[in-house]
Amino acid sequence: MSEAEGHLELEALLADALRPIEPPERLSTRVETTLAAITEQAAAELESWADELSGSELESLRDPRNWVRPVAAIAVGTAAAGALAVVGMRRRRRPHGLVETAGSALRDLRR
Amino acid sequence: MNQPSIPAAGSAARADMDRAFEALYRDHLRDVYSYSYYRVGNHHDAEDITEQTFLQAYRHFERARRESNGRPLRPWLIRIAHNLAANYHRDRARRPEANIEAVEPPAHPHDTEQIVAGREELRAVIRRLDDLSNERRDALIMRFTLDMSNREIARALGKTDGATKVLIHRAIKQLEELIAAEDTAPATEEEADE
Repeated sequence: MSEAEGHLELEALLADALRPIEPPERLSTRVETTLAAITEQAAAELESWADELSGSELESLRDPRNWVRPVAAIAVGTAAAGALAVVGMRRRRRPHGLVETAGSALRDLRR
Repeated sequence: MNQPSIPAAGSAARADMDRAFEALYRDHLRDVYSYSYYRVGNHHDAEDITEQTFLQAYRHFERARRESNGRPLRPWLIRIAHNLAANYHRDRARRPEANIEAVEPPAHPHDTEQIVAGREELRAVIRRLDDLSNERRDALIMRFTLDMSNREIARALGKTDGATKVLIHRAIKQLEELIAAEDTAPATEEEADE
């Protein structure tokens, strides 16, 4: 057998040995669940943050240097909410939705 | 800080981006899963890596689209999986518990005696793959599992097209030599016995 024929035979074997694997059904569900968990975590972060605020803290939030935590939570939540829509999830775990919650938090900050 | 990027454009652009990500996810879930499976050798960790790949991809999707200039994003996606698999092995600081040797050749829908015999041959190929360097083995997985072109593999591995072509050629040649050595080894022992 020539070198070229040997190569071709091995390539055929490799193509057979390394055939693509179908992902299990549960994987899609798992990815969606993970994204949902991130959304809930972000929403919970926003809620606990709002609950913890004292008057002086509310005052301090008028300073943009103190916006890191809420903005980070909103960023995580907004991205995750988008990802949920992307993978076709139509779950409604919160009556008003994360984006609305985030928007409301931002409006409160501006006051 | 590794925060998800937030699309800055309006809702129409955002909807367009989401549709594009959905297409990417739908089109390449099998690619990412297959690549991950052959990298780590078991379904459980392959699922972890696939999940993490798409989460990371979503975080950086807007930027990747912008910088791709319309080129396919599969190499970028596989590169994410590639890096995650490398981290997986690095975190354990040892060879994987179930490496590619544990991989079973995919089942054929019509299992005949001939195919069963052929599976032994496939197992031998998979066994020998583990003797290649990581880079050579990864390039072969990209070529033969995902049917990626040299250019796509080059982008996924961060190499030039020429270097990738050489890499694949050498990987096949080395694999051929390893299999040939395995085939001749028992005969040599018998000769020694005589």
